[in-house]
Amino acid sequence: MSSLNYIFKRLLLMVPTFFLVMVIIFMLVRMLPGDPAIAMAGDRASDADIQAIRERLGLTEPMLVQFWLFLSNTVQGDLGRSILMRTDVIDVIADRLPITVFLTVYSVVLSLLIAGPLAFVAALNRGRWPDAVIRTIFQIGLSMPVFYIGLVLLTFLAAQLRLFPVGGYGDTFGEKLYHLFLPSVTVALYTSAIIMRNLRSAIIEVLDAEYVQFARAKGLPSRLILGRHVLRNALISTVTLLGLSIGNLMSGTLVTETVFAVPGMGRLMLEAIFARDYPLIQGLTLTFAVLVSLVFLMTDLFQSRLDPRMRLQ
Amino acid sequence: MHLKSVLGLVVASSLAMPALAQERGGTLNFARYDGSRLIDPIYADRNPDIWMVGSLFDTLLRGSADGNSVEPGLAETFSVSDDGKTVSLTLREGVLFADGSSMSGEDAVFSLDRARNPDLSPWAGLLGSIDSVSADGNAVTISLKDADPTILSMLATFNTAVVSKAAYDAAPGDTDQDKSAAIFASTSAGVGSGPFYLCGFEQGASMDFCANEHYWRMGADGKPLPYLEGVHFEIIPDDATRILSLQAGEVDAAEFIPFSRVAELEADPNINMQLYPSTRIIYSPINTRDTRADGSPNPLADARVRKALNYGTNKDALIGVVLHGAGQPMSSPLMAKATQYASDLSPLYSYDMDKAKALISEAGLEPGTEVTLTTLAGSADDATIFAALQQMWAPLGIELVVEQVDGATRGAKNRSGEFDIHTYGWVNDVNDPSQVVGWLGYTPTAKAVGTGWENAEFNTLFEEAAKEMDPEARKAKFAKMQDLYAEAAPLLFMYETPFAVALGSAVEGYVQTPLGNNIFDEATVSR
Repeated sequence: MSSLNYIFKRLLLMVPTFFLVMVIIFMLVRMLPGDPAIAMAGDRASDADIQAIRERLGLTEPMLVQFWLFLSNTVQGDLGRSILMRTDVIDVIADRLPITVFLTVYSVVLSLLIAGPLAFVAALNRGRWPDAVIRTIFQIGLSMPVFYIGLVLLTFLAAQLRLFPVGGYGDTFGEKLYHLFLPSVTVALYTSAIIMRNLRSAIIEVLDAEYVQFARAKGLPSRLILGRHVLRNALISTVTLLGLSIGNLMSGTLVTETVFAVPGMGRLMLEAIFARDYPLIQGLTLTFAVLVSLVFLMTDLFQSRLDPRMRLQ
Repeated sequence: MHLKSVLGLVVASSLAMPALAQERGGTLNFARYDGSRLIDPIYADRNPDIWMVGSLFDTLLRGSADGNSVEPGLAETFSVSDDGKTVSLTLREGVLFADGSSMSGEDAVFSLDRARNPDLSPWAGLLGSIDSVSADGNAVTISLKDADPTILSMLATFNTAVVSKAAYDAAPGDTDQDKSAAIFASTSAGVGSGPFYLCGFEQGASMDFCANEHYWRMGADGKPLPYLEGVHFEIIPDDATRILSLQAGEVDAAEFIPFSRVAELEADPNINMQLYPSTRIIYSPINTRDTRADGSPNPLADARVRKALNYGTNKDALIGVVLHGAGQPMSSPLMAKATQYASDLSPLYSYDMDKAKALISEAGLEPGTEVTLTTLAGSADDATIFAALQQMWAPLGIELVVEQVDGATRGAKNRSGEFDIHTYGWVNDVNDPSQVVGWLGYTPTAKAVGTGWENAEFNTLFEEAAKEMDPEARKAKFAKMQDLYAEAAPLLFMYETPFAVALGSAVEGYVQTPLGNNIFDEATVSR
């Protein structure tokens, strides 16, 4: 099967996934106590006012009617109007999406830059002191809550040493790299700990493989062995892990975006939940679902490139 | 809103007058805990919106410094007819909106008609006494259905601020809501006549105010206010980050400083830690219904038990652990000290464990009775309050358990009565006690803040006070209501807290009023 065919089939399979996501999120938000009318009108509004708002928002319609509206509008690309922001959900998301995607990609790149070289150093020095030091440091990183790491970095690097800004996210690409460095590194420290551990053991496993020993025996230079044979094969499981941790990275933005005052989708999600902004919660969840699905698809495609034994089907 | 500007004047002049010349220019960078979403006088319904209305718009009248009377605002003169049913105002000559277009009586009529339209504004009820509004040139006449003792205060309140009719006529959109949103999104200078106009807005991230060069009020140097060129707001929801941002010099001011950090910032020589007096009260409604929502008998229906809980609560200790001392016990059961007509009943239920125990045994409460305190999840203050109350009430035989919910859930529970006791707070929006008293005690509208408490005498007094034109007689009615309420104890009366704002040393003249309004009219920043 050609990879185009495969991609098409995978995209088709996403349809039922998204349908399920929509059903679940539609029901979940409505199961929460409190509704948008109460959140919107405030505690001081009279019952009659709240009822009027419910009617205006269409919340008095039967559930199935509401769901049908949600479904049919979404298919037509209309995610509804945000109760909280008083604008179209699609516009709000279009505003915030680039920031969160930038933050996530930046975190992934930083995680790889941190984890990759250190995993090699640790694996090649297995059991010796560099290995122990690296593993201990990452173990500490893994056991600290993300928001705490964020605050520590902010206090020392931003407030005291003034190396980085405390808040904001910049306009140009360069400014963004600078402004979002601390939030990205905060997320990256956690992710790189997981990647480092996985990559280290994968490298060790591959180093012991017979084909590597054979390559060594053949007298190939070790740079070639490490680059062509070891890294490529060790990366297979790491790519899977990275793909799977994209969900974690995205949910991590809920915390980092709040701590670092980055106006992205994670912080928006929190605000939307507190305000019971059904259309916005639904729109954001769907967007997250699309992003995660696309990353999974890309992971699979990349894996098949790394390992020809994995067929796309 | 009225109180703020005058207070702003007083504070700014006391701080800034000794300087040789008034510092002008510069942009003040201000870190906020939450962003505005729509600053329109009639739609502003969240504090981050309400508190900014006065920077962009003007009201016909302004509150006096002591908050007990009103002074001319956009209206240069005002008078109330002898029967109390007609208010006549004359607009100041030559007032311009920020884009330079002129304001007329027509704009005032348009604004008041919008503000009192119940289909548009959640605040329309405050203007329920108005029958009609008309204008002839700069003369504005308000006819009332009945005499209304609050009408002048209402004309100094944010929701009656004057907007430009022309701006609304020209704005795209089918409904007033759409037009309002379009005007806000376009960051138009032509909509208000306040000291600033909105000149930049990024949803959830930042907001910019630019000085209105046509503003009519004069500064200490004889030139028009404001002194600043503009104000730049950054939204930083996390408390610690907001403070760090100030310490790093990225912003000049940070609001809503947690009380646990106040002492540390007070000690910082580069920071001017301000605790502005407020009308904020923190209290906990108690469910007074005979049965709980699940049908079981409610031990808190007995007023003696509620009083026992109040006596058994050490307010000073609570203020110590939650506010680190930056607060005071409530002295009126219905309102903050700074509110007009507040009775000083202090010490209100001063800590007395013997009295509390006696009341509990008189009520025949079973030892080990379980009572649930509903708190806000994630609120450090609420967690501390629960821990403290659990210990304080244990000797009374009450086993306090906690239920943590978010704000919307708490609101829903308050409405349905599915709670025993829950934490709550209030800040006045209006400089008149009727709003808070209506909220906390009057049954027909708010079910006495969801407690289910009902007292016919209280309700009658409240309705009479709404029509009483004699200030002394009105004050007496509010005093009686406060006595009745204190005796019935439908709340756990807790404490008042100030607004904690940390300013950089370059900032002078910024004020947050007791109603919460952020006033930049006379603020300066020296670079």
